[in-house]
Amino acid sequence: MRKYWQIAKGRMQENTAYSAWYWAGTVSSVMRLLIIYFFWEAVYANQTTIQNINLETMLTYIVIALLLQGFVGGVGNELAENIKEGQVAIELMRPYDMIFKMFAVDIGEKIMYLIQGTLPMVLIAYFFMDLSFPKSPETILLFIVSALVGIWIGTFFDFLVGVLAFWTVNVWGVRVLKESLITFFSGALVPITLFPDWLRTITEFLPFQAMVYLPVSIYSGLISGTEVYMALGVQLFWLISLYLLVRVIWSQAIKQITIFGG
Amino acid sequence: MSVVFLCLKIECMFLGSDIVITVENLKKEYKLVKRDPGLKGAIKSLFNRKYETKHAVKGINFTIEQGETVGYIGANGAGKSTTIKMLTGILTPTSGKVTVNGLVPYENRQKNAVNIGAVFGQRTQLFWDIPVRESYNLLKHIYEIPEQEYQETVEMFTEVLTLEPLLGIPVRQLSLGQKMRCELAAAFLHRPKVVYLDEPTIGLDIAVKVKIRKFIKEMNQRWGTTVLLTTHDMQDIEEICDRIIIIDGGTILYDGGLEQIKKQFGQQRVIHFELADKEKFELPASLIGQAEVLPNEEETKVSLSFDHETVKSSFVISEMMSMYEIGDLNIADPKIETIVEELYNKQEQGGEHEKVLANS
Amino acid sequence: MRRYTRLYWEFAKSHMKVMMEYRIDFLIGVASVMLEQFASIFFVKVVFDHIEQINGWSFYEILFIYGIAATGRSIHQIFFDNLWTLGWQYIRPGKLDRLLIRPVNPLFHVVADRLHQDGFGQLIIGLIILGTAIPQLDLVWGAAEIAMLVIMINSSGLIFVAINLFFATFSFWMIDSLPIVWAVFNLSDFARYPLTIYHKGIRMFLTWIIPYGFTAFYPAAYFIDKSGYKEFALWTPVAAIACCFLAYAFWNRGLKAFASTGS
Repeated sequence: MRKYWQIAKGRMQENTAYSAWYWAGTVSSVMRLLIIYFFWEAVYANQTTIQNINLETMLTYIVIALLLQGFVGGVGNELAENIKEGQVAIELMRPYDMIFKMFAVDIGEKIMYLIQGTLPMVLIAYFFMDLSFPKSPETILLFIVSALVGIWIGTFFDFLVGVLAFWTVNVWGVRVLKESLITFFSGALVPITLFPDWLRTITEFLPFQAMVYLPVSIYSGLISGTEVYMALGVQLFWLISLYLLVRVIWSQAIKQITIFGG
Repeated sequence: MSVVFLCLKIECMFLGSDIVITVENLKKEYKLVKRDPGLKGAIKSLFNRKYETKHAVKGINFTIEQGETVGYIGANGAGKSTTIKMLTGILTPTSGKVTVNGLVPYENRQKNAVNIGAVFGQRTQLFWDIPVRESYNLLKHIYEIPEQEYQETVEMFTEVLTLEPLLGIPVRQLSLGQKMRCELAAAFLHRPKVVYLDEPTIGLDIAVKVKIRKFIKEMNQRWGTTVLLTTHDMQDIEEICDRIIIIDGGTILYDGGLEQIKKQFGQQRVIHFELADKEKFELPASLIGQAEVLPNEEETKVSLSFDHETVKSSFVISEMMSMYEIGDLNIADPKIETIVEELYNKQEQGGEHEKVLANS
Repeated sequence: MRRYTRLYWEFAKSHMKVMMEYRIDFLIGVASVMLEQFASIFFVKVVFDHIEQINGWSFYEILFIYGIAATGRSIHQIFFDNLWTLGWQYIRPGKLDRLLIRPVNPLFHVVADRLHQDGFGQLIIGLIILGTAIPQLDLVWGAAEIAMLVIMINSSGLIFVAINLFFATFSFWMIDSLPIVWAVFNLSDFARYPLTIYHKGIRMFLTWIIPYGFTAFYPAAYFIDKSGYKEFALWTPVAAIACCFLAYAFWNRGLKAFASTGS
């Protein structure tokens, strides 16, 4: 376990070394927050509710979603590059489980993001924006659990896409597309309840809503009561399914390398 | 007929000697930021910037005439690339004068560029993703080479460098040797007056090296192209150059014909011996008059220099070993290092150079 | 001038040949960009399913703003995309030298070195968006209006280029200023919506300091009378040209500094 912590730490150090990127990341995160804030304020200028959600709740949803969104990515892209460049063969020779290693690296990245991106956003949101807090400590707890599960789901999914690099074309445009689609379907931009019916049905069959929409809805109260436990159930389902999928596909991939030599 | 001849004669008189490159007291200094390591150092440097001046080129002088083939040699970090960069106009000097083809390179970069070509070691001048032939085509447009001339040049190069099978292949798929042949063709494609070649043969196998040297020589003979070659391979120098300029530590140690330097220094060898007890060292009687002791700062090492035509390395070694306990020895590569060491030695004795060459 | 046009054409030809060779990559690239932009628009659509207007701007008017930004940006993306790579493709690996010893303007060479296929996707989607939005606007379209639209779109593109160039120039001192360029580029996201929704400070910043406002909102405002910015919008082409001059001057400064410190 220790070595994975070292790996995570290593990644954090690497990130601080690139200090310009550090600040650029912070600035970008703050900007995104501002854009969203002003956008929704303008949206609500002429009405008090949209589908029974008021401005305060909507803002809370959007901001928390934004905060959470940064964590549902992962090292998928890096993995894809490793594969394309043949680094994988070297990694497999090392004395650790490559998947765990990638996740350790990912944790390092996420901690960095927490400090450089989430923290400034939280500060600004707290001081300048009127967000609401969950009513009960129980809700907070459920939210935290749900958020963590959502993050893992996102990480697994991202990893899966990365592994697919073994078999697919890896063009930059596709990556960008994938990210924007995931962002959209995860409910990070807009609560899924606002989607037109046909779209909402499709979304319910995808794992993405489990990454952002479900946890954030718990926090903001869009989902309450027994529905919360149902939501957690859905998340758990995705979590386990994706993990199994990751393992299965990964072992296939390894077979591919060891037979064909990468 | 005689009028034309007279005019030509007068023209030649005005042109004088055909000097194409002049370098006068050229200097280049860099300001490097000095920073303590670690996080503390980084923060300190935000408040208190400390600079260190590095003198890369310390006032060099030389002139090169049209058609000369000059080998520009020196150890890494001696100031070779810095000089070349100033000659090509990429770098502006700190002080001093440099003219190429009558132009100041860094002030007239584009104008100067029309008349020069270059090969920079392993960095390619060609366009990565497209077939070689198309790279040449783009270069044709960049240098505005007339179509007729272009076709002739390409045809000739293809023959001499055997480029035929390579022309249709993208550069990124070529091997090093293949790439270098194409690079050279590219450098000479627009028939420039001066060509700078920076380590063109590095990493290549001998067959390709031979081809390349032949090509460069032929270009020089056919079109009178001035060639400035930097290399670590003495064989390149032997085959191609008439003249050698040696630079070390930013100053020119030697500037003269290839033949002279070979006569003077080419036969020298230096062997560094590691002795158990340097204090008690005295040159063995059998070697007096044959070998010279070079100054060596290291506590346990002694350096001997000798002419290997007159006394064999094996003899020097055996004599030393018979009298002293030798821990280790190292024969300096009988190439540039030896010559440079020897030069330092001569300079030192002449009092011109304070720096003592450490073990190489 | 003619020489450079000819030269650019030669470069472009060779890029297009490569694109055609990797046809699949080309199509995937174009399609991805289109879909990605479409997803962004879809988000706006979902919001507008529930409301009538934002700050007085209707859905199609917002679309119009977006369309101008997209088309303007495509100009940059198709022709000038290589500016992003100045640091890590040219300066860091020492490849800029190779351009500097050629008898061409180095900026021209960096720009001409790449024709980005994804930009075509951006252009197509931009035109589609404009094509969807324009008929829904309350406007009469004569030759003057069309000419103005073309001018505005080109101005928008030039501003994208100028801002990109300006911050890319920092690479001459920093080796790779990509993080700055990227952060600044993210600012352009503000420009997708009417600037009037923002706090005054932001609006001022996007108009006078990093003028992304002129890439979408102000040009669009020219056509939308009620915006109140119709006259101000006429400054757009002026802003575009001014920015280009500024950026180019800065580039030359950077090049000079680069030549004295070496790589």
